[in-house]
Amino acid sequence: MDIKRLKFIDRPFLMVLFILIAFGLVVLTSASLSVSSDSYFYLKKQVLFILLGSIAAVMVMRYDYTQLKRYCYIFYGCSILLLILVLVLGQELRGTTGWIGIGPFPLVQPAEFTKVFIILSFAEFLNQRKGMLNTLGDMMPCLLFMGIPFVLILMQPDLGTALVYIAVTVVMMFAAGANPGILLRMMIGAVLFIALILFLHFQFGMWLPLEDYQIKRLTVFINPYEDGQGGRGSGWNTIQSLIAIGSGGLTGKGLFNGTQVQLNFLPEHHTDFIYAVIGEELGFLGAAFLIIMYGVFIIRAVYISFNAKDLYGSLMVLGITAMWLFHVFESIGMSIGLMPITGIPLPFISYGGSSMITNLMAVGLILSVNIRGKKIVF
Amino acid sequence: MQTTGLTVRKRIATLFFLFTLGFILLGSRVFWVQFVRGAELSEKALQNRMRDVPVESKRGIIYDRNGRELAISVSADSVYAIPAEVCRSGKERETAKKLAQILDMDEDQLYQRLTRVSSFEWIKRQIEPEKSKLIRNMELSGIGLTEESRRYYPKGTLASHVLGISGIDNTGLEGIDYYYNDLVGGTKGRIIIEHDAVNRPIPEATHKFIPPVDGANLILTIDETIQYITERELDRVFKERKAKSAAAIVMDPATGEILALSSRPTYNPNSFSDYPVSNRRNFAINDVYEPGSTMKITTAAMALEEKVVNAESRFFCPGYIKVGVETIGCPDKKPHGSMTFAEAIEKSCNVAFVQIGQKIGMENYYKYLNAFGFGKITGIDLPGEAAGITVPKERAQQIDLATMAMGQSNAVTAIQLITAVSAVANEGKMMKPHMVKQVVDNNGKVIKKIEPQLVKQVISPDVAKELCVMLEGEVTNGTGRQAYLEGYRIAGKTGTAQKVGPDGKYMSNENVVSFIGFAPSNNPHLVAIVVVDAPKGSLIFGGWIAAPAFKEIVKDVFHYWEIPMYNSAEIEETKEKVDKILVPDLVNLPLSEALSLINSRGLKAKINGSGNIVWQQTPKASSKIDRGAQVIIDMSPLEPKKGGEITIPDLQGKSIKEVAKILADLGLHLVPDGYGLAYEQSPVAGKIVSNGSVIKVKFQPVGE
Repeated sequence: MDIKRLKFIDRPFLMVLFILIAFGLVVLTSASLSVSSDSYFYLKKQVLFILLGSIAAVMVMRYDYTQLKRYCYIFYGCSILLLILVLVLGQELRGTTGWIGIGPFPLVQPAEFTKVFIILSFAEFLNQRKGMLNTLGDMMPCLLFMGIPFVLILMQPDLGTALVYIAVTVVMMFAAGANPGILLRMMIGAVLFIALILFLHFQFGMWLPLEDYQIKRLTVFINPYEDGQGGRGSGWNTIQSLIAIGSGGLTGKGLFNGTQVQLNFLPEHHTDFIYAVIGEELGFLGAAFLIIMYGVFIIRAVYISFNAKDLYGSLMVLGITAMWLFHVFESIGMSIGLMPITGIPLPFISYGGSSMITNLMAVGLILSVNIRGKKIVF
Repeated sequence: MQTTGLTVRKRIATLFFLFTLGFILLGSRVFWVQFVRGAELSEKALQNRMRDVPVESKRGIIYDRNGRELAISVSADSVYAIPAEVCRSGKERETAKKLAQILDMDEDQLYQRLTRVSSFEWIKRQIEPEKSKLIRNMELSGIGLTEESRRYYPKGTLASHVLGISGIDNTGLEGIDYYYNDLVGGTKGRIIIEHDAVNRPIPEATHKFIPPVDGANLILTIDETIQYITERELDRVFKERKAKSAAAIVMDPATGEILALSSRPTYNPNSFSDYPVSNRRNFAINDVYEPGSTMKITTAAMALEEKVVNAESRFFCPGYIKVGVETIGCPDKKPHGSMTFAEAIEKSCNVAFVQIGQKIGMENYYKYLNAFGFGKITGIDLPGEAAGITVPKERAQQIDLATMAMGQSNAVTAIQLITAVSAVANEGKMMKPHMVKQVVDNNGKVIKKIEPQLVKQVISPDVAKELCVMLEGEVTNGTGRQAYLEGYRIAGKTGTAQKVGPDGKYMSNENVVSFIGFAPSNNPHLVAIVVVDAPKGSLIFGGWIAAPAFKEIVKDVFHYWEIPMYNSAEIEETKEKVDKILVPDLVNLPLSEALSLINSRGLKAKINGSGNIVWQQTPKASSKIDRGAQVIIDMSPLEPKKGGEITIPDLQGKSIKEVAKILADLGLHLVPDGYGLAYEQSPVAGKIVSNGSVIKVKFQPVGE
């Protein structure tokens, strides 16, 4: 790799990334305090994941991403295989079978890693069809390409991650030049279809592959007190999260002082609901700061994609950006009662090895595109 | 650059804007949750983790006007446990054993409670002081003591209807304790314990004791002594006459301060659940009755104020009067004949008052009825005051005016009537009746002072004074003679009214009798009312049942207040001026007593005849003579027959003069009681007694 290229690196992007990670570690210290008997157990592990992820990121960055095109179908095939393996051998943890353990290694979530590999291969898949995505017929193969992993993840069931695939697919296809009218109609059609299915299920008892409680979990955020148990059932998470954020006020209760967090009223507060910890302990200042940081981070990524030297790089960066974006929307959204509770981590903030390492690898990919991008000279 | 590149760039720019929009949406929602819903959600966060244990505040003391305690708070320690702390100390067994011993409880049960998954457990409430001291000294971890207080009324039934009751949760439920609960009750304290999501208390966390704020103390207008006197008399008449209920109020007309207020039947507020609920009804405030003749005071006031009559106006009573098709009569249709307005009041003549009512007229009558406060509450600071019932003006007929003028048709409460009559006693100024003089805090600082409040100048001062004199005549010469108290000028009016039965008609067998009056009538210190509902026995008249009780109350209150007697006051006066001396009444006194009385006043005695009892005196009692002058005493002219036996004659229906003559002729001594004609004697007629015996004879005035 040409060391000179490093001077093209997007400094704001990297700086925001460091801020996000540092901010995440601070919050995690407070959030995981009451989870384990060793107060710093999670913090130590998270630091380890960050180190591993950083090494991976640097390695990926050094590698010329254009070479990845060649392996993209291998990535795709391996990913699908892995997802099937998870369904067969996966261990159930927190209601899904998304975890897999190999020998002495700790449990990992293949769905996290496969996201990046699928994006890589989908970018090439679209790249080969550039300018040929005008009809529904042109678009069908793309939908099928992404539909297979989507269904497999939905079967775990991990609706949150599955929804990420939809966001990624739509964004990447749109950027690749797909007919926006058809794209829009498909999205509207999907929403109407889901609405129809839910209507048929609740009105006429049509069978669905989801249990009632799972459906309830997805819809209860609209009115969390209407969960049939006065807010103590499936609405509990949303209510406690709203209480945590709402009671934070402008400056919050201070780190380690959030009553909702430290007294365990807020579930999963070191992973999925970490945003509520920020809202409660650091208040609106902390919560808004994080949103602004994510905003800058995502927009810098879009800018990198904008300046990529080829469509493949652009699409890859945009796909990863769409993935993060959806994670941010979903994770923050469910904390503030805007989205159903699906349980996906907040990138670079939530505790979790699979997620952190995957995201840092993705950063590596973006930087790889970045340093090899066009230098705009006027 | 290929054309597709341009498309891609445009699309990326579009995405850029969409993403930015999304972030703005997220930020706005966070802002809304944290600021718009912030207060509500903060409150929920607090509710989530705090468990409150209330600690009762100490209710304020209720004092009488002289600072004597009528209601106090006694406090006792209660023992509680914080199981999490007990378990942390690792001495659950030991603690349970020690506590069980002291508190006399079952050890195993106690152990269970100490180890329960709970944030807070009461072990035992309101324990004895020695035990609480023992527990305090042991300093058991996780075991605490908190002071809890309970209302106690040290005087028992005294002023029960005024003070009211307080429930087990230490809140006032009735009476002053209810009416002033916000002031007297104070603010409950709390023990706050912070919990986590699975209800485990957090040992080091917030574990606060917020001490209760004690209630303010009240100083009532009630005077404990006057209240006691009033209740004693009320009790007597209530029990003797087996009445359904009764009430008495004593009020200071100048200020509207209630000096005593009592109703019967009564109860002990410390153990109120042992009494029927109906005993807690405050007849004086909560119930209405038809006032009867006592209402004639207000009718007379209206007539004088409107100048439709004066003291000399003449009325003629043929025994009845026709109003439209109805006939209204005096008792037994006995004609009172011709009389002045003042005499009409003395005789309480219904016929005359119907005529007076007609002279006042419908319009004016209602004007004053309203001005005197009938048909609406007086606003006294006691709960549940009844407004009374007046005949609606738009429906009132001439017959209603006639009956209202003599005290029927309208229903009033005792507090309403005494407030109205107070206006007459207070130069026409009607004061708002009230029970509380001051609110003071624990350091004796006055928080609030209740000043006397003028409701209205109902009648002019001159009219009020004129009426006072006429009402005095009612007591000295009229139906209220039983209220006459030697040495004091008393004004008042009796009332005997039929009761309206459940069918809306007057009942023949039940009456409400009452007396309302004030004294001294030239400068009233007090107004008092005694109302007795459905008394039994003979002579169901206000003059015979309520007036004596009134008299006793006034007598004892005036002794208590050390108000000089009218006569002695006059003696002082005369001494200064001309050194004249009032001749005492010696008739019927034993000689020795008569002589000592004469000597004590600086007079000389000349004894005529022989015997033990004074038969006559010259000059007569109450005449004024010079110091050192002679009083001629005639001893009993009849020589008592030694061992002679006399058969007592029937004295029924004879006047005092006749009775005195007959008994004197027989050598018997008369102890008269009352005025009018004899109706009861003791010993009864036909009994044989020895010469010189005492015969008690009760007299009653004719009619009411």
